[in-house]
Amino acid sequence: MSENVHMTFMDEVAALPACDKINECIQCGVCSGSCSTAERWEYPPRKVIAMVRAGMKDELLKSNSIWFCVSCYLCTARCPRDIKPANIVHGLESMALKEGYKPPTTTTTMYRSFAGSITEYGRVYEFGFMLKYFLKTNPFAALKMLPLAISLFTHGRMPLTAKPVKGREQLTKIISKMSEGGVR
Amino acid sequence: MEPRIGVYICHCGSNIAATVDVEEVAEYAKTLPAVVISRDYKFMCSDPGQDLIKKDIRELGVNRVVVASCSPQMHEPTFRRAVQDAGLNPYYFEMANIREHCSWVTESRKEATEKARALVSAAVHRVYYHQPLENKEVPVHPDTLIVGGGIAGIQAALEIANSGHRVYLVEREPSIGGHMMQLDKTFPTLDCSACILTPKMSLVGAHPMIELLTYSEVDNVSGYVGNFRVKIRKKARYVDASKCNGCGTCMTKCPVKVDSEFDEKLSKRKAIYTPFAQAVPNVTVIDREHCTYFLKGKCRACEKFCERDAIDFEQEDELIEIQVGNVILTTGYKLFDPSPVKEYGYGRFDNVLTSLEFERMVNSAGPTAGHILLKNGKEPESIAIIHCVGSRDEKYHEYCSRVCCMYAMKFAHLLIEHVHGAKVYEFYIDIRSPGKGYEEFYNRVQREGAVFFRGRPGEITDVALTPEEKGKLIVQFEDTLIGKQRRLPVDMVILCSGIEPQSDSQEMAHKFNISCGKEKFFTEKHPKLDPVATMTDGVFIAGCCQGPRDIPDTVAQASAAAARVLALINKGKVEIEADTAVIDEDKCSGCRVCNLLCPYNAITYIEKDKVSHINEALCKGCGTCVAGCPSGAIIHRHFTNDQIDAELQGILV
Repeated sequence: MSENVHMTFMDEVAALPACDKINECIQCGVCSGSCSTAERWEYPPRKVIAMVRAGMKDELLKSNSIWFCVSCYLCTARCPRDIKPANIVHGLESMALKEGYKPPTTTTTMYRSFAGSITEYGRVYEFGFMLKYFLKTNPFAALKMLPLAISLFTHGRMPLTAKPVKGREQLTKIISKMSEGGVR
Repeated sequence: MEPRIGVYICHCGSNIAATVDVEEVAEYAKTLPAVVISRDYKFMCSDPGQDLIKKDIRELGVNRVVVASCSPQMHEPTFRRAVQDAGLNPYYFEMANIREHCSWVTESRKEATEKARALVSAAVHRVYYHQPLENKEVPVHPDTLIVGGGIAGIQAALEIANSGHRVYLVEREPSIGGHMMQLDKTFPTLDCSACILTPKMSLVGAHPMIELLTYSEVDNVSGYVGNFRVKIRKKARYVDASKCNGCGTCMTKCPVKVDSEFDEKLSKRKAIYTPFAQAVPNVTVIDREHCTYFLKGKCRACEKFCERDAIDFEQEDELIEIQVGNVILTTGYKLFDPSPVKEYGYGRFDNVLTSLEFERMVNSAGPTAGHILLKNGKEPESIAIIHCVGSRDEKYHEYCSRVCCMYAMKFAHLLIEHVHGAKVYEFYIDIRSPGKGYEEFYNRVQREGAVFFRGRPGEITDVALTPEEKGKLIVQFEDTLIGKQRRLPVDMVILCSGIEPQSDSQEMAHKFNISCGKEKFFTEKHPKLDPVATMTDGVFIAGCCQGPRDIPDTVAQASAAAARVLALINKGKVEIEADTAVIDEDKCSGCRVCNLLCPYNAITYIEKDKVSHINEALCKGCGTCVAGCPSGAIIHRHFTNDQIDAELQGILV
């Protein structure tokens, strides 16, 4: 028997890291009730879980749901069955990218800019990573952020030059180890 | 008498026969030493199956019997009885468990058959060395102790006392009544809780066969079924119960105000008090922790005004010892405290109440005389009722508390009745209404206009996002049937707190030598077939101390426990299994190691003979002392060295 042929969507998701309790969900909705961005989701977190269990892979991964998760982890803290909805959502994001679904939001660009800054400097270099993000998405949108940027700059909260951490070679090793087989 | 062994292999329908080659095992048994007959049969526990054994005993002179079937927990008594009916000592029987230990847990037919052969061989080798034993009988003391004076204890006490037997009812609070007394109406019939309870309470108070020990706690228990000795601490009331007539003058004169436990701290009581007007016994008690006299050495206002000289500041705790044959534990439950569920804001927001607080508020004898009021004194226009708080949640209690759905809907009914034009919203995950008239009640509350939202709310907040949310409590939730996150501003939120075990349930279990489950409720002997008995003979349980349940179930269980006790009293004696340990006094060095090892406190040291002695009625035959004795002086009847050696040899053949 070849691998994964008989795996359903539900089994695939349950096999993702820390997503194994998905079948124990009682659909109480505390995740969606707690979610800080739920109003933007096409399907709220509870329904995302229901759709996974119903095998509605294409419909779910094509939707804008999951991409709005800001990792506040309220759903996970409050879930009465310890399902860890945030982990499931991030697992689904990763799955969607691997399988070539095109994300309907700029979330991945943000993730990549952020991760790029970490890889390069070992810390968040706000100015650089925001610049990169806006250049890749909508440079005009950056203008709207200008007053905030100026305010941050004048308060010394957003230096214009990067200050890398010490021992970047080791960090690079750690990151490359982490990225093996993963999605960047 | 030369052993002549009969072996009977049971098919148990297909439970065993589908996995174990029973015919082969029966053939194999024929080759074992001293076996005169070996058979296999579809159901050994059936009458024809038992008749096979009896017939062989009579006709073939079989004098040792091995049945290879299910667990001895199931049918050992059945086969022992069959053996005894045919004229043999019932201990000339051994059971091999080839179902639970073999067919049910083994997939391969070959391996299962091999294991069954080994188990049968072990039993045959063992039964060869069996000795005849006699079960002992001990008398049952006709008095009963009931611990906990809520509805369960009251019901059980009345059942037993009405049959003419004495009951000691111990309650740690100053009055009996328990949680049921705090409730306003009861679902689904909406009887007034106090109206149906107080007649029973006064019956208890006046019953010649019930000795009511309120404001008392069990200190210590010793003994065994039929013969328990119990020490009870009667806490000092500082009021002479024989003089006090409950006139209440002391309560009016007492200057100290304390939060009323009975009213869930929504009102004040005095330092000398009865918890509520219909208290049984109607005798006040002085709360030492708050009484000015005890704190500062002066006041004694109650004493000055008491016309009957009933106040006695010198009173001390009194220890009494009673003897009883049986015990029923009806220690009830504690309401889950929702403060750790931070997102619901209990304790942070004024108008977030627990269910018991609401019960008191809606009660006409309660702190607001039955008016449902916000902290600011106004009536709420909209009320959210949140189900499953502390229940169905791995962070608190995994189980369903069983009563919350129903009382939540009762609240909706009461709110609609009491508050003109009130909008009531129920936030539920699943409605659980499996009881007589319960689903109909759900339907009734829907007809009355309660709004049901399916979804466990994420949080209650006072941070308004729109003008109409201002000054309100906002319930943020997903209406899961629509699939949208929504916000609902309300004036009051009632949290349906779950039922949890009393905080001292484990200590209590330890005193009575019974066990608690994972959630710390008392464990019953069998969850289905023996729900009110415990693993300790003569100790029974009823009501919420065993797990969450409603009033009808509690009453039924209390009556069941009473019936079990009455059966024992009526029989007058109990049979004690003969497989106990016995000390060979010639070998005993008097070291007392066994005294400390025995988990049942069955071994005592006899000072004058300098040896230890085992009380057979207390001994459960666990064998700990046998293994622990450094002199090898303890023999475990029915588990002798010969028998165990033979059994091991049989398995290894």
